[in-house]
Amino acid sequence: MRTTRITAAVAGAVAALVFLSGCTGRDDTSPVTSQPVDSSKLVSSLPAATGEVDEVTWALVEGEPSTLDPAGDYSLAIPNLCENLLQISPDFGVGPGVATSAEWADPVTFVIDLRDDVTFWDGTPLTAEDVAFSLERNRVETSAWFPAFVLVDTIEVTDDLQVTVHFTAPDSTFRDAIAGAAGAVLSKAFVEQEGDAFGTASGGVMCTGPYVFDEWTPGSEIVTSANPDYWGGAPLVGTLTYEFITDGATLANALLAGEVDGAFNVPPASRDNFASSDSGRLVLGPSTASYSFGPTNSTGAAADPRIRQALSLAIDREQFITTVLHGLGEPQSTFTPPFAWAGMDAADQYTDAYEALAAPELDLEQAKQLVEESGVDTSKPLVVAIPAGAKELSQTAAIIQSAGAQIGLTIEIDERQPTDFSQIFFDPAARESIDFVATVGYLDAPGVLGYAQQFLLPAELGGFFNWSGYANDEVTADLQTARTTLDPAASADAFIAAQEIFAPDQLQVTLASAYQTTFLQNGLTGVTTSVAVYSSPWALHLGSE
Amino acid sequence: MNAGVVRTLAGKLGELALTLFLASVVIFSAVLLTPGDPVAALAGGIRPTPELIEAIRAQHHLDDPVWQQYLHWVGGVLTGDLGTSFVYKTDVAALIAPRIGVTVLLVVYTAVLIAIFGIGSGVLAATRGPKADRAVLIGTSIGMAMPTFVVAILLIWVFARVLGWFPVYGAGDGFADMAYHLTLPAISLAVLYIAFFSRITRGAVVGQLHSEHVDTARVRGIPRSQVFRRHVFLNASPQILAVSGVTVAGLFATSAIAEQAFGIGGLGSLLTEAAARKDLPVVQVISLLLVVVFVVLNAVADIAIAVIDPDSAKPRRNA
Repeated sequence: MRTTRITAAVAGAVAALVFLSGCTGRDDTSPVTSQPVDSSKLVSSLPAATGEVDEVTWALVEGEPSTLDPAGDYSLAIPNLCENLLQISPDFGVGPGVATSAEWADPVTFVIDLRDDVTFWDGTPLTAEDVAFSLERNRVETSAWFPAFVLVDTIEVTDDLQVTVHFTAPDSTFRDAIAGAAGAVLSKAFVEQEGDAFGTASGGVMCTGPYVFDEWTPGSEIVTSANPDYWGGAPLVGTLTYEFITDGATLANALLAGEVDGAFNVPPASRDNFASSDSGRLVLGPSTASYSFGPTNSTGAAADPRIRQALSLAIDREQFITTVLHGLGEPQSTFTPPFAWAGMDAADQYTDAYEALAAPELDLEQAKQLVEESGVDTSKPLVVAIPAGAKELSQTAAIIQSAGAQIGLTIEIDERQPTDFSQIFFDPAARESIDFVATVGYLDAPGVLGYAQQFLLPAELGGFFNWSGYANDEVTADLQTARTTLDPAASADAFIAAQEIFAPDQLQVTLASAYQTTFLQNGLTGVTTSVAVYSSPWALHLGSE
Repeated sequence: MNAGVVRTLAGKLGELALTLFLASVVIFSAVLLTPGDPVAALAGGIRPTPELIEAIRAQHHLDDPVWQQYLHWVGGVLTGDLGTSFVYKTDVAALIAPRIGVTVLLVVYTAVLIAIFGIGSGVLAATRGPKADRAVLIGTSIGMAMPTFVVAILLIWVFARVLGWFPVYGAGDGFADMAYHLTLPAISLAVLYIAFFSRITRGAVVGQLHSEHVDTARVRGIPRSQVFRRHVFLNASPQILAVSGVTVAGLFATSAIAEQAFGIGGLGSLLTEAAARKDLPVVQVISLLLVVVFVVLNAVADIAIAVIDPDSAKPRRNA
């Protein structure tokens, strides 16, 4: 099971949800290109660098991390520091990393074999003890990564370089999960020594990644440098410094003036400025990120699937993509984004099933009819909650509002301060006064089950966001089968059977998928440009052309 | 130092203590009353279960009566423990320390610009004839109408993007580099106040120019420049000083706008961000710090006025 962006919000990493919020743009007064992009032109990574570069400055659009602990924040500085057991490739496949192999020995026994040449930055060798410790650290109920471990029985060190994970049932999602931050490898000795200070500006982190943590000056920058002993070969960049620039206009200025070398998740509103730059280029890559809104309680009108279907039919997706994403996205038929399975064994099966789903369409007559059939009291306004200051979500809410108006539904927008907003995700009382919550979410590691489990299963089986009380025994059984079936084709069959049932119910009204955006100065190359940046060392091959 | 000044000083210290106490109560209550549960900030990075939320609330005394929470906090601040940030999990002092220098430099830089150009243009307007007066009047009207963030956008566009003379963002390292980086932010903050000070200076100087003692001095044949320095400007300065304290203290608060626009990690931007994330310990400490600065700077201005014009320090009693 993957932790989603929404989980990150639960985790209180609120800025997370609004990672595009930097674009409280003042730069959107210029005429903006919103031409659609040919999706076959998306690139997952730039060619590996060949030349050394002394110093690269990277802007963190999501702002200063609250911690560098991989279990605590989703900052893009983390993947270059702390590696996961397996590596996610830019095209979202999973391959060997710190672990040479991680495979099922039998249906309930998973064996992880480690490389023998991996050392932490302080020179101590990586051992199975460190790995078992790191996994156990995420296997507590309060961990954002806990869902990955629900079927784990015990984690055992079976050799200096081998960890064996025993399961209560087979788990088809586990291997992909440990390629994400659920499998982040930390130094046991260091974590124990630092205690509460681990991950903070004063404590720092101790990992095995291609860049070494040097210094974090609060409010200013995080400095990292090439790890000369990296098992995969030292990076070509001497010093990689992260600066925190959340303001969209400041970011665009800093990038276009060449004061910052690159950034991910640059605001789509600055597309024109970036496209016309002669000092750098805007690169578009595939992503699992999507915009959606879903119901927050089981009693209101929003819990009625017909209301969600009606709103979906009233929203023009092309207009959404033009207005909110400035053309940098495409329509998406259900909440599980196609790139999530791009690197999986049963990719073709998933793709065929996805293409068989009804694509979102605009049909106001049918929408009005659905509202009428539902018999809901249309005089009562429906409230959509969004985080304050997130321009794209503010526009999203306005689009939902005008769509509602066209079919006789009154929509009110409730813009909330970050903590107030994140409270929605763990406090049922905070959800009572609202009907929908609009979010941007992404999947940080391959896998199709993450969203489905969270939105559709009963709460005790992992349906953390199943707030509308969705309950369909067949869907529950199929999703459980998909998870506990190790054969990729059979697992896919079970998921697809469930999807055929749940997709029309629109537990999330998916509005569009958003492309991964990267701006990089000319002369530099080698970065990952797909959504894989969240959980793989994206700057490993960074350097000059 | 005469008795008046000493009395003023003692009075100011008493005022400072009282103001700080009242401000700390107001700040503490205001922060608690704003919407949103601080548990969200505290639970950063974890999936909070009801039990865990209870534990966090207990650990941070969030369920204690407000007055107990207040005493706990004040007790910490008085003993040098500023508390731990809910979001960053580090000492508030460690979060504030690296940012304080940037903000102080920015405010001082801005104040210097205001003193030179604001007071300078006001004197110019008052003494260099109707043409200069008209020109300054038009200039200050424009300056007063320009919000800080608009000035910031203009400055970035012209001086950083088109001409490339200044960096577009960041605070720089080392004094010279920092001063260079903070030039545009300081100008953007200063514009409004330059206009304001120009008007005040002009008014004060014109008032003095037409006063009896100046006429007398002129009649006695004292050189023009000396008349201006000793009689006009010195007597006009209390009026200017009176607003200086408030202005400089206010700059600490409004610096957030320039810090945001120029991507500078200072106190103002930290306060804005902490308030949004409900990072109570950070908000409380910075707010209190702003109040201290405010009170201290005003006291300094008042004392300076008392030194220049001892009469003003005499207690005024109602008859």
